Amino acid sequence: MKTITTRIAAALGGLVLAGGVHAEEGKLYLFNWTEYMDPEIIEAFEQKYDVEVVQNYFNSLPEMLAKLNAGGVSQYDIIVPSNYYVPRLIETGLVQPLDHSKLANLDNLKKQFRDPSFDPDNKYSAAYQWGTTGIIYNGETFPDGPKSWSLLFDPKVNASYPFALMGDGQVSIGAACAYLGHGYDCTSVDAWKEAAKLLIDTKGRDTFSGFVDGTPALQQLARGVTHASLSYNGDYLYFKEEDPEAFKNIKFMIPDEGTEMWVDSMMIPAEAPNPDLAHKFIDFILDAEIGAQLSNYNYYSSPNAAAEPYLDEVLTKPPVQPTEEDMARLKFTPSLKGQDLQTFNQLWNEVQAR
Amino acid sequence: MRKRTLQRGLTTFWWATIFFLYLPLVVVMLFSFNASNSAANFTGFSLRWYTRLLGNEQIISAFWNSLVLASVSSVVALAIGSLIGYGMYRHRHRKLGWLIVLIYLPIVLPDIVFGISEMAFFVSIHRYTGLFQPGLGTMIIAHVTFQIPFVALIVYSRLVGLDATLFEAAKDLYATPFKRAVHFLMPTLKPALISAFFLSFTLSIDDFVISFFTAGPESATLPIYIWGAIKKGVSPEINAIATLMIGAVAIAAVFSLMFNRQGRH
Amino acid sequence: MAEISIALRGRAVVSETRHLLFSVMPGAVWIIVFLVLPSVYLMAVAFMTNGPYGQPQMPLSLESFRQLAGFGFLGWSPGNLYTLLRSLWQTLLSTVLVVIVAYPIAYYITTCREKWRPIMLLAVVVPSWTNQVIRTFGWMNLLAPGTPLSDAAQALGLIAPNMGLYPSNFAVTLGLVYNFLPFMVLPLYAAFEKLDTAQVQAAQDLYAAPLRAFWHAVFPQTLPGLLAGTVLVAIPAFGMYVIPELLGGGKGMMLGNLVANQFAGSANWPLGAAGAILMLIATFAGLFAMRRIGKRLGGGEEVVI
Repeated sequence: MKTITTRIAAALGGLVLAGGVHAEEGKLYLFNWTEYMDPEIIEAFEQKYDVEVVQNYFNSLPEMLAKLNAGGVSQYDIIVPSNYYVPRLIETGLVQPLDHSKLANLDNLKKQFRDPSFDPDNKYSAAYQWGTTGIIYNGETFPDGPKSWSLLFDPKVNASYPFALMGDGQVSIGAACAYLGHGYDCTSVDAWKEAAKLLIDTKGRDTFSGFVDGTPALQQLARGVTHASLSYNGDYLYFKEEDPEAFKNIKFMIPDEGTEMWVDSMMIPAEAPNPDLAHKFIDFILDAEIGAQLSNYNYYSSPNAAAEPYLDEVLTKPPVQPTEEDMARLKFTPSLKGQDLQTFNQLWNEVQAR
Repeated sequence: MRKRTLQRGLTTFWWATIFFLYLPLVVVMLFSFNASNSAANFTGFSLRWYTRLLGNEQIISAFWNSLVLASVSSVVALAIGSLIGYGMYRHRHRKLGWLIVLIYLPIVLPDIVFGISEMAFFVSIHRYTGLFQPGLGTMIIAHVTFQIPFVALIVYSRLVGLDATLFEAAKDLYATPFKRAVHFLMPTLKPALISAFFLSFTLSIDDFVISFFTAGPESATLPIYIWGAIKKGVSPEINAIATLMIGAVAIAAVFSLMFNRQGRH
Repeated sequence: MAEISIALRGRAVVSETRHLLFSVMPGAVWIIVFLVLPSVYLMAVAFMTNGPYGQPQMPLSLESFRQLAGFGFLGWSPGNLYTLLRSLWQTLLSTVLVVIVAYPIAYYITTCREKWRPIMLLAVVVPSWTNQVIRTFGWMNLLAPGTPLSDAAQALGLIAPNMGLYPSNFAVTLGLVYNFLPFMVLPLYAAFEKLDTAQVQAAQDLYAAPLRAFWHAVFPQTLPGLLAGTVLVAIPAFGMYVIPELLGGGKGMMLGNLVANQFAGSANWPLGAAGAILMLIATFAGLFAMRRIGKRLGGGEEVVI
């Protein structure tokens, strides 16, 4: 912990030089999703390299990008964005290429993560975990809830219970697209328009309670604020394990119309204070046993082939490892750019503003 | 007869309003002692959220950030603001319309416009020069900016309230402007300076929007931490931190009452 | 001789000016550099083009204002207009409600014994000393589904079963009223305290109906306080960010949220800057109007701001 004097000194330094706090040697600044990192792994890393790891958290990718743009690009060493934000970060020059000579464990990654479509040849990113976004709902309220997006979008299926959608526009629009039969990874403007219209209508229903990020959505569900919502498979299991009583009736489901599969990847911001240590950290996470320990902690699937022997049994079955049929229904969220991204943002802004 | 019913009605209305004003705060305080993590049911008394709070490094760090931000910005604002207040008084016969406009600007500008202007400005400058990296430094700059007007106005109104002949007397008594400042101005302005400092401090602790937009990754204050925790899905420690902050406000209220009493005698 | 005296006076003027500069300059420069310049920069951003990832770019254009008015790539859509109207409506509604509550409260305080008045005023103001986020969080807890208030509202049929009072537009209005009540009570109290009782007495003799006596004698005298309070309530309410974000649940978006969103998620700095300009225009128009009305009605008395 910083003492108050160094804090004041840093603040005054910031005032006078306005150069801000420069990273001290031996510190790694990690910017990660909430509830996503085993504290013991952090301790192990700190001991191994005799450094200190400072963790900061985000709840959604838009939030992460905003922080990165607001100076974070020179203040974090590692960020963990999802697949569809990777190209955006590369093109805006917010991240730096990885030095593969420093990543001996990179080959531990499974084949499908070794040369992903969103970042050919892992030039900028190395997979951290992967998982799915699905519907979470109260099993008591919906004892025979359909395995479908209709639980959220069809007022006949859920006429009277509060529900929420995802705060990240691309996921909510994708969900609406899937329900309408355009597929989760729709990219045509017409499909988007139809999806946006559905979302605006859905928003107008009395029982709509808001656009919520994945982790808080689970908390709201457990507290009875909502009865159906969107969240991630690993967070679902993590909270269920932590508080079995409150999450007793909460179910997770992959709708038949298809939903999101995502890969979160470790990347190094362009002006990271300590890129060398960041490479060490990435390599540390890619280690077989550490990779397994991470999955065993946060209940997400490991992209690490070498880690497989060390994984807990729960990680080998649904919802962590979806069934073959469900697996075929999963799609990546499309990476948007240029005119497409602007059109999308206008539509999403319209949905929110109505 | 009618007058009395009116008065009775007003008394009831007064207590209803007070109930309305304090209800949310009381609920927050009550649930900070709740044994379970529920906002709807009180299941028993417990101090567990307070123990968890003390063990949470992020909260402790946010606490220190809030404290440093409020004290440093108040001191800077006090120095700069009281100078303006004095200048406005000394030269009150000149046309200072531009200065008045400038001083009212931070007060009337909507918080969100204030915060976003500074954020966009700092971020853009940082991109090209590396200066103004968002963090405690930029937050202090922003806070000083909205504190200056309040300090200036308090000092100015105290000076206007003084008898002008006092200044003449001080001029005869003390030869140099420096001595005048030390032996005459400072003591007479002391109450105004103290209340200006406390107002600045409170304004800083109270602010969320401007801090939120000018903050850097490592400079979260308590309100920013609480905001994040709410957005993340309510960790019950929020009630505990909020209760401590409400407690601090209650103490400040008692002090201000005592100060007020003293001032009148 | 005359030359010397002119020179002396000249030097005195120079030294006075230097004094003015030394005392006023640090603060003035501070505000100019750290507030005026940033605001000017933000305004400039509004006239730039939105880059592919939300950053402002050349060339200059009025595209962002077109977008703010609702003209997108896909034709006109009413979303932003809805948000603007919602902001205006919420501001109007909450200001009126605040006046309705604050007026009797301010009057009541003046009827109490003098030694109690500072304590009563403090009691009204103290809740606003706690952080806005905490106060709003308190209401989130109070209005959520399953709480006594929500259950009562359900029993009365005000809201659908299983729902809570939060999140909703109602919760936003309630939050705004709660937040701004003290800002109206204080100036109204000041106005009531200065009330000319002789005038009120005369009016009571003149008009039989108490309502007319009130309208002709009391109300005009409290008007300056009312106007000052309206400025203090309506301007910040119009630009409110925290309360709609926490209590509105995605349905209650106001202009402040629209602006903030453009700097975060769906990034579009120029559009956000254009929204900020709209907010500034509304703010200054409001201030100007209040000043004019205040001058005309308040008998030359300056409104606080």
